[in-house]
Amino acid sequence: MNSAIFNLAYKSVTNRLFTVGLTVLAIAMSVTLFLGVDKIRTGARESFSTTISGTDLIVGARSGSINLLLYSVFRIGDPTGAMSWESYEQIAGAPGVEWAVPISLGDSHRGYRVVGTNNTYFERYRYGRDLPLQFAAGEAFADAEGVVIGAQVASDLGYEIGSEVSLSHGIGEVSFAEHDDHPLLVTGILRPTGTPVDRSVHVTLEIIDRIHDDGAHDDDGHEEDGHEDADHHQHEPEQITAVFIGMEQPTLVLRLQRQVNTYPEEALSAIIPGVALMQLWEVVGAGEAAFGAISAFVILVGLISIATSLSASLNERRREMAILRAVGARPGHVFTLLISEAAAIAAAGAFAGIVLINLVFVMIAGLVQSRYGLALGSGGLSPTDMVTGVVVVTAGALMGVLPARRALKNALADGLTIKL
Amino acid sequence: MTTEFAIQIGQLEFGWKPDQTLLDIDRFELAAGESVFLVGPSGSGKSSLLAVIAGIAPASAGEIAILGQDMTALSPARRDAFRADNLGVIFQLFNLVPYLSPLDNVMLPCRFSKARRDRATRNGSLRSEAERLLNSLGLDAATISRASTELSVGQQQRVAAARALIGAPGLIIADEPTSALDSSSRDNFIELLQGECEAANSALLFVSHDEALGRFFDRHVDLVDINRAGSVVA
Repeated sequence: MNSAIFNLAYKSVTNRLFTVGLTVLAIAMSVTLFLGVDKIRTGARESFSTTISGTDLIVGARSGSINLLLYSVFRIGDPTGAMSWESYEQIAGAPGVEWAVPISLGDSHRGYRVVGTNNTYFERYRYGRDLPLQFAAGEAFADAEGVVIGAQVASDLGYEIGSEVSLSHGIGEVSFAEHDDHPLLVTGILRPTGTPVDRSVHVTLEIIDRIHDDGAHDDDGHEEDGHEDADHHQHEPEQITAVFIGMEQPTLVLRLQRQVNTYPEEALSAIIPGVALMQLWEVVGAGEAAFGAISAFVILVGLISIATSLSASLNERRREMAILRAVGARPGHVFTLLISEAAAIAAAGAFAGIVLINLVFVMIAGLVQSRYGLALGSGGLSPTDMVTGVVVVTAGALMGVLPARRALKNALADGLTIKL
Repeated sequence: MTTEFAIQIGQLEFGWKPDQTLLDIDRFELAAGESVFLVGPSGSGKSSLLAVIAGIAPASAGEIAILGQDMTALSPARRDAFRADNLGVIFQLFNLVPYLSPLDNVMLPCRFSKARRDRATRNGSLRSEAERLLNSLGLDAATISRASTELSVGQQQRVAAARALIGAPGLIIADEPTSALDSSSRDNFIELLQGECEAANSALLFVSHDEALGRFFDRHVDLVDINRAGSVVA
């Protein structure tokens, strides 16, 4: 019996394609917006939380932990200060420290951040589920003038092994002081990682020093030039920006963090990346909640348009209801008919919205990845998609209750006779 | 359902509101398979009587039996089911569900009543029975395949008649079905309807305000004569 009603609902809905189509469009758009916000949110979280792994502590000049995390790992914002090389050596030599990678930030090359470091960076840096950096071509720094570029830098700037790179001071795309007097050569190109590493230009700490000293302390630089060796572990800059640290035992992390935070010689901060990330989520959580609430309200508006369009159609459908009653439809059938129409409209809208947002993400994923370093996921059907779909269809059916009650009231009052 | 009477009414009282009496009928009967012309001016209570007979509105007092079934003893849901099984209705105008094809319109009652579907499919498929009825009412295949909204009024009324007749219900109620037709198609329609009712052994209650149509029927009843409350309604 009910299959007859569903069949009627389907035919009734498809018969009013224009009005129904507009309502479906409204719901599809609202679902697209809602899921889009959600996918960007989860994509950003996913992307952020997989950017660094295996690093137990990050140490930098004293600042807020979120700030240190943002500039050292995500290359967002500028370093608040520097830390001395002596402090680095102290920390690197502390008991329980397995490895320590110094990094020096603050410069750029054609809009891409320059990271001064040494070869331990390529050995120790981990991302995703403990994935190491891999070279698509070439190798790590062979001498002080070596440059290792991320996959995105290579493809955007068209660099290959042996390409010449000139560095500038500052991070703007256009720099006044390009240091063309220090031609550097690309020695390695990293495989894509989906992290800010793809958009980084890695150079030796020595080069960073040279850029900044440039002439003023030339003798210092010449001295370094004198005993170049393969690894450059020996180069001692005056200061660096931050240190990535791996511990021999996880139990030692908190102790070292406390020691660094109370280090008397210099004001330093040590952060645990996972903890700092949690703090970051707490900060952005409020904004996310606001966006989520707004997009949820947009869905609600879309759903209300179902009730609106169905209610608007009821007057012209009074006779239809009388006919259905005459051929034996019970009041429950009339009710079910309108509820199923509402649910069908909601389902069509939800389906279209889910398909649309996934298509959009498949299309823009590459662009977002290359421009913002944000991996938006594979674009497949997510559990959120399905839950949203179910909720929208259920809420849509509920939206049919109001017009259904009116239709029922009309049908009972009209009986067999409406002479419209 | 074999019974002596299609409709039996005794001491019937009815009003849409509790303190209202639109119908007060001492006695009205329609024999099984009989074809009766019920005439009455507008406002005489025709629509109310049809609603009561169809089981859409419950009588306030009195007895009403359709095809031997005491309607006052049935719950609203059972009355709906009874109507689906045993009643065919033809309206004055706009009889068809606009988003259904003529064929789907004709088959519609069988979607709500298993009894009518069973009777309609006794000699073949439901579709072939619907086509047979439409053809015998003078609608060809080309007309049937058009959208319901594209049919002329006369064609729509024939589709409505086929829908009322499918599955041979014991009683057909026709509520001024010819008022929008010109005289020649009106006469033709009434003859076809009567012929099909006879073939299906369905009783026909044909309601109209146009007394001229009485000549097609063996018996006519004037509602003003039998409804003692008729004068109340202007």
